[in-house]
Amino acid sequence: MADDPENSVDKPDDNDAGKPEKMFTLKKWNAVAMWSWDVECDICAICRVQVMDSCLRCQAENKRDVLGRQDCVVVWGECNHSFHHCCMSLWVKQNNRCPLCQQEWSIQRMGK
Amino acid sequence: MSLKPKVVEFFEVWPRLRGIAESVITLRKVERAIWNTSFSDVYTLCVAQPEPMADRLYNETKEFLESHVQVMLTRKVLEDTREDQKDNKATSDLLQRYYTTWMEYSQGIKYLHQLYIYLNQQHIKKQKITDTESFYGNLSSDAAEQMEIGELGLDIWRVYMVEFLASELVRHILEGIAVDRASNGTLDWHRVQTINGVIHSFVEVQDYKKTGSLKLYQDLFEAPMLEASGAYYTNEANKLLQRCTVSEYMQEVIKILECESKRAKKFLHVSSLAKLRKQCEEKFINDRLGFIYSECREMVSEERRQDLRNMYIVLKPIPDNLKAELIQTFLEHIKNEGLETVNALKGENIHIAFVENMLKVHQKYQELIAAVFENDSLFLSALDKACASVINRRPSERQPCRSAEYVAKYCDTLLKKSKTCEAEIDQKLTNNITIFKYIEDKDVYQKFYSRLLAKRLIHEQSQSMDAEEGMINRLKQACGYEFTNKLHRMFTDISVSADLNNKFNNHLKDAGIDLGINLSIKVLQAGAWPLGSTQVIPFAVPQEFEKSIKMFEDYYHNLFSGRKLTWLHHMCHGELKLSHLKKSYIVTMQTYQMAVMLLFETCDSLSCREIQNTLQLNDETFQKHMQPMIESKLLNASSENLTGETRIELNMDYTNKRTKFKISSALQKETPQEVEHTINSVDEDRKLFLQAAIVRIMKSRKVLKHNALIQEVLSLPKVSFTPNIAMIKKCVESLIDKQYIERTANSGDEYSYMA
Repeated sequence: MADDPENSVDKPDDNDAGKPEKMFTLKKWNAVAMWSWDVECDICAICRVQVMDSCLRCQAENKRDVLGRQDCVVVWGECNHSFHHCCMSLWVKQNNRCPLCQQEWSIQRMGK
Repeated sequence: MSLKPKVVEFFEVWPRLRGIAESVITLRKVERAIWNTSFSDVYTLCVAQPEPMADRLYNETKEFLESHVQVMLTRKVLEDTREDQKDNKATSDLLQRYYTTWMEYSQGIKYLHQLYIYLNQQHIKKQKITDTESFYGNLSSDAAEQMEIGELGLDIWRVYMVEFLASELVRHILEGIAVDRASNGTLDWHRVQTINGVIHSFVEVQDYKKTGSLKLYQDLFEAPMLEASGAYYTNEANKLLQRCTVSEYMQEVIKILECESKRAKKFLHVSSLAKLRKQCEEKFINDRLGFIYSECREMVSEERRQDLRNMYIVLKPIPDNLKAELIQTFLEHIKNEGLETVNALKGENIHIAFVENMLKVHQKYQELIAAVFENDSLFLSALDKACASVINRRPSERQPCRSAEYVAKYCDTLLKKSKTCEAEIDQKLTNNITIFKYIEDKDVYQKFYSRLLAKRLIHEQSQSMDAEEGMINRLKQACGYEFTNKLHRMFTDISVSADLNNKFNNHLKDAGIDLGINLSIKVLQAGAWPLGSTQVIPFAVPQEFEKSIKMFEDYYHNLFSGRKLTWLHHMCHGELKLSHLKKSYIVTMQTYQMAVMLLFETCDSLSCREIQNTLQLNDETFQKHMQPMIESKLLNASSENLTGETRIELNMDYTNKRTKFKISSALQKETPQEVEHTINSVDEDRKLFLQAAIVRIMKSRKVLKHNALIQEVLSLPKVSFTPNIAMIKKCVESLIDKQYIERTANSGDEYSYMA
């Protein structure tokens, strides 16, 4: 058990004294969460790079947005397959079908 | 007078002209009018009717000059010698007489050249071979080729005077120089000038030549001079060796080199300076390297700066391979000192001592190289080699080198909250890069660094975000963008999260929602953080948290689309207010621990199994988080070992003189398993990198011998690590298994790429 040296003053915290209350109250919570693209397959079938990372082209060109993040988002088709947006926009120039299921490609939503 | 060509009788004009020529060449006074007349005499002869008499004039002049020089030789130069053959002093005056005569003649011939200017320019220039002709080897090379009068005069001097006297002159000059050496350069000024004049006459006499104008000087004088000097130096060196220590010898040699180069300037033609210096270095240094090096080891190990400085000066001009011994000794010395200071290290703060001791060694020798070796790049690279070999040394064949880990931990210590001021931290981080650059396993460093950075960021232990960013930028400078990409993303995640929290809290305020707890959430980008998805542990979130989680998730999904959030409860912590005791306490603890405490809201006693089932924690996590709670005495356990049947209940008699405290968690300490895990993950990354590299190479080469393949892999631009051959072999094997490549049928050590 380690004492927090900054708060070592010994005085009872009587702010809520006397009130009927729970035995345990949450005062503060420092939570950590991790976000990832909500995808079925976490590898982009076009460039074979994880969708969480930038696509190959973006990695090579070192593209980044103002915040310094790599600005390479994910795109979902109506068929629910997902790819890097950069990869897909190149792909549809050749063939307007989903590379995985051959359905007509139309964008369902974009990652943000 | 008229310029018109006319008929002249050669015999009428020539005797007159010859008389004047003699006056001119002996520098006697010639009246302006007479000069002018002679000048036109030359013209008249050259354009004479019916036949120009230029050739005849030339031949007569040549004959005149020849006889003149011969007369000078006997009358002025040799005269005394014949009389006082035995008198040494008089003999040495040969130089003086030669010099005086030469001064007169060389001046006279210049005037004579002027007098014959018409002949020179109109008659002789025309016949001269042009540069182009001589370049294409169209040289009829007849001996009768005519020279301009000035050149002719010099050539005649060379033939009749210099070549006749050469050996005598050179002997005298060398004697003169020897006297100067013996008298420490105090030879009288007049004599010096004479010798210098004589030496330079050898050059001047051929100055007019376009090529090889130094040949006479070199053959006649320079070669014997160098030889004589060489002998003198060898002799001197021998003398010095007998009475001097190495240290004194070097001092003397430096002095001698100095004097000799002054002496060379005093006497010799510029073209000889470098040669003589080389000769001097050859005899005093190259030939005596064994002696000079005999105390090298002691000098280096005792760091006798003055001696080392002298040795450096002495050795500087000689070729690099000869210096190798000094450099090698120096390198060994640094290496030993480095190993000594690093090997003795033990204990918890080994990483701090490691970096700081290495830095001390590095700084010390860097300073020494600057002061003693003029920052010579050879020595700097020796320092680099020594440091690299100390830093990358593995304690034994089977143990990995831990420097990368130490250096990363050192950064961590600096960047964590402490009382050190920022400027000092900044300075130390910069220094740290010096050591970092020597690390071969930069990928190991990166792994450790990113894990430690993740901990600092998540647990908010950083001293300052500026310092964190500064360090990332330094690493970026040293290793490139790729190396720090993830570190950067981690860093930005934290600042984005801070922003997000503000927005979220404002959003709650606007919506009039009070969650009742102070919520602070960090949203990390998957992939950038060294956490690993395996670490997501199943956990039934208590309903006390659920509202907060739901609010935030809704808000987040509203803000971003296509993202999903995974809560990393093992990294969350919070403050729980305990009101069941006499005093109320605020305790900082892990989320899992909070969840356990919350279970006791409704009952007084629970078995371990019950707790575990309610919260759906796995054994390992449960044990890890329960133990500190029992140890802190907040909870009582019915048995020491926590088994499924162990009863847990609240300790209602708990007291603590502090009202705010923290349950220490095992999580924040680095365990040996974690270190091992880090190292293993580095190995995995390396294998993938190598496999990818091998596939790329094989794809472009199609077929390659084993050794050639290894060579190609080794020659890859290596940023972060040096691959070892065993690992490459393993990767080749696994690629064969995966059928990327195969062994060719006809040869055992050849591979081919399989498309």
